[in-house]
Amino acid sequence: MKVAVFWGCRILTSQYAYEISVRQVLPQLGVELVDLREMHCCGDIIKSINTFATTYMAARIMALAGETGLTDLLVPCSRCHFTISETRYLLERNEKLREKVDALLEEEGLEYPPEIKIWHVIDLLHDAVGLNLIKRKVKRSLESLKLASHIGCQTIRPSAIGRVDSPEMPQKLDKLIEALGARSLEYPEKLDCCGAILMFSHPEAALTLAGSKIKALQELGVDGLIDSCPACHMMFDENQESAARVVGGRLSLPVLYYTQLLGIAMGIDIEKLGLHLNQTPVEKILEKLTQLKEEAHDGTETRSKKERRV
Amino acid sequence: MSLVDLTSMAKPNKEIRGKILTKLGGIELINCFQCLKCTSGCTAFKLLELAPHEVVKLVKLGFVEGLITSEIIWTCATCLKCTERCPQKASPYHVIMALRNLAVEQGAKIPEAYLKAVSQILETGLLQTTRKVTTKEMETFDRKRLGLPEIKYPTKTFKTVLLKVLEGALA
Repeated sequence: MKVAVFWGCRILTSQYAYEISVRQVLPQLGVELVDLREMHCCGDIIKSINTFATTYMAARIMALAGETGLTDLLVPCSRCHFTISETRYLLERNEKLREKVDALLEEEGLEYPPEIKIWHVIDLLHDAVGLNLIKRKVKRSLESLKLASHIGCQTIRPSAIGRVDSPEMPQKLDKLIEALGARSLEYPEKLDCCGAILMFSHPEAALTLAGSKIKALQELGVDGLIDSCPACHMMFDENQESAARVVGGRLSLPVLYYTQLLGIAMGIDIEKLGLHLNQTPVEKILEKLTQLKEEAHDGTETRSKKERRV
Repeated sequence: MSLVDLTSMAKPNKEIRGKILTKLGGIELINCFQCLKCTSGCTAFKLLELAPHEVVKLVKLGFVEGLITSEIIWTCATCLKCTERCPQKASPYHVIMALRNLAVEQGAKIPEAYLKAVSQILETGLLQTTRKVTTKEMETFDRKRLGLPEIKYPTKTFKTVLLKVLEGALA
């Protein structure tokens, strides 16, 4: 499978671990990535300023994707994914809007593509690559890890325009985590928002949202939080320390992109997965995995240790 | 001024309400029966006192002016739960976005970060400039050191067209 990729601002300018791990993992699962000729903002943030400008920007991304001759577009950022999906939904139902956008694209000789399917990393892996192939690629089972998933609000809502997973009971990311042998915990705060967009206007509230979720997960004793959106990851990983200052207490929960976790399970070098870029103590997860491996080699002693753990 | 004061002191303005309804395209507010499903699940309600059902009610009644100058419309976390759960398809999220757009058109005060983002996009095409990431071991990495390809910034035509679109909205 060959897909065009639109990365989006956040990934390109700061969330490098996501880009590195996606570029590393997907080709090994048979997905070839083709970058667009140009990269620009999808229009997400402009929606608050002028919604029509957003429609133009997102339509231009689709036009650039169409230029590659491919009919599949991967958008790993949940905010971009929503913006582009919503624009597609509107342009297909509103002729007047479509005419206005077509005229703007024409100024550059661009054309809105008649056929294009928009993928997120989660549904691409779950629906197209498939859990079976992922399970077969696992070299290092993550059994013993108790993880929590955060799929991201804009990945799953609003369902009316067609989203990646169920708006109230998302399961795809959990199934992807479980395909690697780990356990994905259901928890009350699962659908709570990371607050990323409020960093623009109300940073303290934004950090409270992110911090409360991490605090709750820490109390549940999970080994890590798995996400798949650069905005959410910025809140939970990069801003975890600032969030701790706002909500009080000590926060030290490892936060990984799903593609990083998948890479670990596939036995890929951790540097090739950008794990050194995570600001949270991801080494705790690696240590736990190595520890288990050593125990497994120890024979009889292992059994007693395992029993004790149970 | 709270939202309650607004209904008791201000006068409804049908003309400006019409502007919001036009912006909303097909979204009908008339069907909203104030069930409060939106506010019950609102991410910004607990922390920032955003009550989406009140916003919808005020727009329906024509009290738009107070809303577009109010900070309250900038507290939405865009989690889209209200859009998903509204049984009447009134989508408070879209109402709030329309109010923000109108606030910009009318020159109301808006959070500075949004304006900065716009000028950054007009300058480079992207929301922010590339950052160097410092690891926990205090090593610094940029795209090049990480072996990531150079960013292909958009052509000048994109920025020209975008500026035209944005200026057209303000005219």
